[in-house]
Amino acid sequence: MLPYRKKHYTKINELMGITGLPAVRICLMALVAFTILFMSSFPVAAQVSAPDAPYDLGPLGTRGTQSISEMWRDIRHGQGGLVTIDRLESNVLINANGTWWSQLRDKDGALIKYGSILLASILTAVAVYFVVKGQITIDGGRSGRLIPRFSIAQRVVHWTMACVFLLLAFTGLVILFGRPFLIPLLGPKAFGILASAVMQTHNLFGPIFAVSLIALFFSFVRGNFPTWSDLRWLLKGGGLLGGHASAGRYNAGEKTWFWVAVIAGVLISGSGFMLLFPDVIGVRDLLQNAELVHGIAALGFVGFAIGHIYLGTIGTEGTLEGMTTGNVDESWIGTHHDLWLAEIEAKHQGDVK
Amino acid sequence: MTIIELLEGPLWTASLTIFAVLAIWRLGAILLSGRRRVEARPAGSPSAGAIRLIFGHFIPQKPFRRNGKVWFVTLAGYAFHLGLFAVLFFAAPHITFIHDNLIGLEWAALPRWGFIIAAEFAFIGLLALWIRRFVDPVVRLISRTDDHIVAGLTFLVMLSGCMALAQTVEVLRAIHLGLVEIWLIYFPFSSMMHTFTWPLSRGFTGARAGRRGTRM
Repeated sequence: MLPYRKKHYTKINELMGITGLPAVRICLMALVAFTILFMSSFPVAAQVSAPDAPYDLGPLGTRGTQSISEMWRDIRHGQGGLVTIDRLESNVLINANGTWWSQLRDKDGALIKYGSILLASILTAVAVYFVVKGQITIDGGRSGRLIPRFSIAQRVVHWTMACVFLLLAFTGLVILFGRPFLIPLLGPKAFGILASAVMQTHNLFGPIFAVSLIALFFSFVRGNFPTWSDLRWLLKGGGLLGGHASAGRYNAGEKTWFWVAVIAGVLISGSGFMLLFPDVIGVRDLLQNAELVHGIAALGFVGFAIGHIYLGTIGTEGTLEGMTTGNVDESWIGTHHDLWLAEIEAKHQGDVK
Repeated sequence: MTIIELLEGPLWTASLTIFAVLAIWRLGAILLSGRRRVEARPAGSPSAGAIRLIFGHFIPQKPFRRNGKVWFVTLAGYAFHLGLFAVLFFAAPHITFIHDNLIGLEWAALPRWGFIIAAEFAFIGLLALWIRRFVDPVVRLISRTDDHIVAGLTFLVMLSGCMALAQTVEVLRAIHLGLVEIWLIYFPFSSMMHTFTWPLSRGFTGARAGRRGTRM
């Protein structure tokens, strides 16, 4: 290879009337210099052809141009300049509007502080309620007669949504609270690995949540619209503090949870898609607001879910089997959904007649 | 030797060997088991019946199409199998791995968005089918421990793969590779063998029906 190269160089040098390897270097340097000059002319051309500055230049400095301090003040407040890169917001050097968001999203910020207080309060309230009141039992005990409550499709949709939600809630909480709570426990290296894993999982399962939400909505919307009996149920506190509160197939608490899940789910999904594809939206302010909406709606969803999981499992006797086997005890319906039981009995008597 | 070197080297070779040898063993055992000779005169073509069933059953069958209660089984089945196939053979990291560690061949990979969509389909399909094993009383009764291990292991393999998507953390890649190796070793002992045996079972059933002059 070397003799060939040497011979090749010699031939070029002979043609140019110069001898020795340095001559080739000089030629290359000239070529590079020409290229740099040529490329550097593009921004100048762009500035020449660009329209007049769309903003007030402010007071002029001693050299007749905008003063340095004014220029930096503009930049500091997010003033856009003229650039050749044709991308959204690429002309903004400092995103001044992001300061509030950074403070809010900071590990000592309001979102982390009040978010953790909210979740801790809900968990404490549920635990205290369970200790004080215990499990809500079926009035008069089980009858042994089972009545279908949820179809197979409804249960599959519910549990698919539940699995995806739990995965997203866990990964989302690690993303949100990881820095203040997990780094001190795991150390930065282990948290870095965990953060990478949960971020990828969260991003991949997000769209599945949106699809599950649509399936959940269509599977459960029937019977979840408010009625007057819901108002009476709410006024009696759902019977949680004593007394009996009549309800139909779904009580007001279940209906509230359904609509909270749907509305929060839509907000979470919509904002989540914005965050998944930031280059499509591109506007930083919108993305910051999307992250805020995503976080707040998710915290609300998780908070309600804690109550739902408690009442659906250890909180109320006989409720979980409705979503596992699809059937509930007739006495359970009489205790919690007496108006629905009356409907079933009326229908049954009509069928018998 | 680091853990990742161990997983990519001796453990990968061992698991792949166990998978290949035992899968071929089981297929061979099925093919060489023989069958009772049928003396009756055929009323139709066994070959046509076999081909009809092997390919015809890719299309959803009437009982599933008409039964609204199990509509999702067909959809979830397609979503999972097609999604998993696409992820397994058309994900860029998998193609690179197959090229470097298996056959030295490579082919066009799915774009990232295509991979994500395929993975989403696979995940939602697997979840729906696995959950059905718990909530449908009939399917729950006929589900064995093996079915749950297969579903759980496949889910973990897919989940660990998606966790390692950034491809920057070696620990996550090692977890994924380790789970894949467990999955490969378990494969020949499990119902996952239907990956290879489905044409045999469909073909046999179709041929028997074809011989009798009936259609399935």
